[in-house]
Amino acid sequence: MKKTFSLLFVLVLALAFTGAVFANGGSEGSAESADSGNLEASLALDSAVAALTAADGQPLIKVSGTSRVVPARPADPEALSEDDPLHWWDMEFAGENSVKKNIPESPKDGAIGKKVIMIVHGDHPWTTACINGATKVADVYDMDFKALSPNWDLAVQNQMIDQAINEHPDLLLLIPLDAKTAPQQARKINQAGVPLIMFNTLPEAAAMDYCIAWTGPDDFGQFRKLSHLWADKLGKTGGVAYVQHAPGGSPYFARYWGPRSELAVYAPDIKVLDAQAPGFEADKTQQLVSDWLTRFGDELTGICAADDSAQALGITEALKKAGREDVVVIAAGNSKQGMDLVKEGKLFAITYQTAEGDGALAVKTAADWFNGVDLPPVRNLPQHMITADDVEDFYPPQW
Amino acid sequence: MMLNKLNRNEILSMGDKFRIYVLLVVVFITMTIFAPHFFNAWNLTSIMKTVSMNATVAIGFTIILIVGQLDLSVGTIITFAAVIGLGLKGAVGYGLSVPLAIVAGGLIGLINGVLVAKVKINSFIVTLGMLTALQGAIYTITGGNTIAVTDHQAFAISDWLQHQIIPMVTPRVIITLVLVIGSSVFLRKTRIGRNFFMVGGNSQTAWLAGVDSDSYTIVAFVISGVMAAIGGILFAMESAAATLNLGTNSLMYVLSATIIGGTSMAGGKGGVFRSFIAIVTLTMLYNGIVLLGLGNEVQIFISGIILASVILYEAYVEFKHEKLVGQRPELLKELEAAQ
Repeated sequence: MKKTFSLLFVLVLALAFTGAVFANGGSEGSAESADSGNLEASLALDSAVAALTAADGQPLIKVSGTSRVVPARPADPEALSEDDPLHWWDMEFAGENSVKKNIPESPKDGAIGKKVIMIVHGDHPWTTACINGATKVADVYDMDFKALSPNWDLAVQNQMIDQAINEHPDLLLLIPLDAKTAPQQARKINQAGVPLIMFNTLPEAAAMDYCIAWTGPDDFGQFRKLSHLWADKLGKTGGVAYVQHAPGGSPYFARYWGPRSELAVYAPDIKVLDAQAPGFEADKTQQLVSDWLTRFGDELTGICAADDSAQALGITEALKKAGREDVVVIAAGNSKQGMDLVKEGKLFAITYQTAEGDGALAVKTAADWFNGVDLPPVRNLPQHMITADDVEDFYPPQW
Repeated sequence: MMLNKLNRNEILSMGDKFRIYVLLVVVFITMTIFAPHFFNAWNLTSIMKTVSMNATVAIGFTIILIVGQLDLSVGTIITFAAVIGLGLKGAVGYGLSVPLAIVAGGLIGLINGVLVAKVKINSFIVTLGMLTALQGAIYTITGGNTIAVTDHQAFAISDWLQHQIIPMVTPRVIITLVLVIGSSVFLRKTRIGRNFFMVGGNSQTAWLAGVDSDSYTIVAFVISGVMAAIGGILFAMESAAATLNLGTNSLMYVLSATIIGGTSMAGGKGGVFRSFIAIVTLTMLYNGIVLLGLGNEVQIFISGIILASVILYEAYVEFKHEKLVGQRPELLKELEAAQ
């Protein structure tokens, strides 16, 4: 035992000593500031980026053309009922009223050759498509680009943030694993002096203070719009149930409270029967919906799902088995399964959620920052609902 | 000369005892040579910070394995303690919420221990049930929301816990090291500590020696609960947030590391310090894999290969041991029956 301790004590001391000696030795400085020619060359590449297309043939870079009207923030949104759309103001419009802290100035020396590290949330076909889109844009600007995945583990994501800081990138792109863990992560990156752009998952408002900008889908806006289509199809009456996203992230709130609070105003006669988060397994969702059909019978006329792949498959299978194909189902995302179900008439509508475009917009926004473009605090992907009328336009699917 | 004196079994025994240290050195040297940005103070400190939570959990988990039991609920105890500690901070402050979270972990361990030792339910079943019940409790308490603290004091404590005092050493790392070394000394150098090995190694011998196996089993579960709670609450304080799946990945990580570190799932053998070294080794390995630009799938593959190799090696050592001491009566019976 003594031997073991002695051996390890010496080892730890040796590691600490060598670590201290090489404290700065392992790091590499970022690329030297390029000359003004780099900026001009970089700006010239913008047109090449604009011409890129995603796997579904849609333009890769799409920014919402219409600015959403941001209502005035209530004095205390939390005090309002959850069925009041303004209750969700801080989450829905996070970043709109952020007070930026210690944000680095743009070097205005072009994006070409810049070292950019992207940390996503976890492995998933969506993430693969997202990284593909990001890589397409990074390649045009000849960036030194790397994507890391913590596989849905917060401890690993925190470690990857440390590792990324250690590599002294010119900019860090981050999908926070959880909206509420984002402030401390963003603060840490900010304190290390690394420029940060967050994307996809909408973080807590406090995190927005520490990042240059946030880019991604307007989940709340999409679902508010989708809920109008849904309510019209339902004749603004009936009973609905929600299959929720995994608790914690912004999609959990946007895809449940977004439509629910919107319908409370737009179609108040629609009754909410239940809401459950069964995860992303088709069989569990199928069981949940079968239980609903037994419990509510004909009262259940609509289902809203947070995911158009596994959850949607579970829902449609349960409805088919019960012979209840009259139930109007809507969902988020445009995966292959989701679009196939729209084509078959089993899903009424889904949201256009370009995975490649999500990653691409984040990298393009980084390039714009290197190019000295004035950036808004929030850059949204466009809103679009896919129905049987236009689903063919989105084939082949991105994931 | 010395090697000549060592017989094969002694070499196997030494390999068994020191394999994790050899593995640590091999991983460290390999990553230092091949992984860019691996060998510098920032990265080594980052590794030690990552080690902290699972290393604390591994203390209790090792003791559980030593007494021949299993605790599947450690991951949810991590999350539960984090939720309690951060959730109550607003009302009572860290001064009270942190002790309450740790006590909650201990109480959960006590329930597990009593059900295993006194009601005689298999620990796999008990702790699987506890895992499920706690998950439900966590979702009920939080309403499905992550608990986060964003006030000045919370950020100040978070900064302090991850502040680098010297390379590789932060306050949270110090707390972890104190717990690991203290537990190692307790297990190896005190009579009570050594009794845990006796309970797991041979409960009949323990009974003949006057050791109350049930009490030791209950205490092992309480220690496991307390350590998981400490790991969880410290991580949550450093992150200033408690997500609902905070401890989800810890069970497999800690289980792998504990076995790789030489603790036997059959009970009676193991060491907290070696589990700690195994956690450090695995974390260094994963860190290096990321720095090499390899994906998560490579991490999973390599950790699977290491775990499988260790289990095969353990099986081989056990087989040799049993053959040596002639304790394979079932084979003898088979032979007799065949004749």
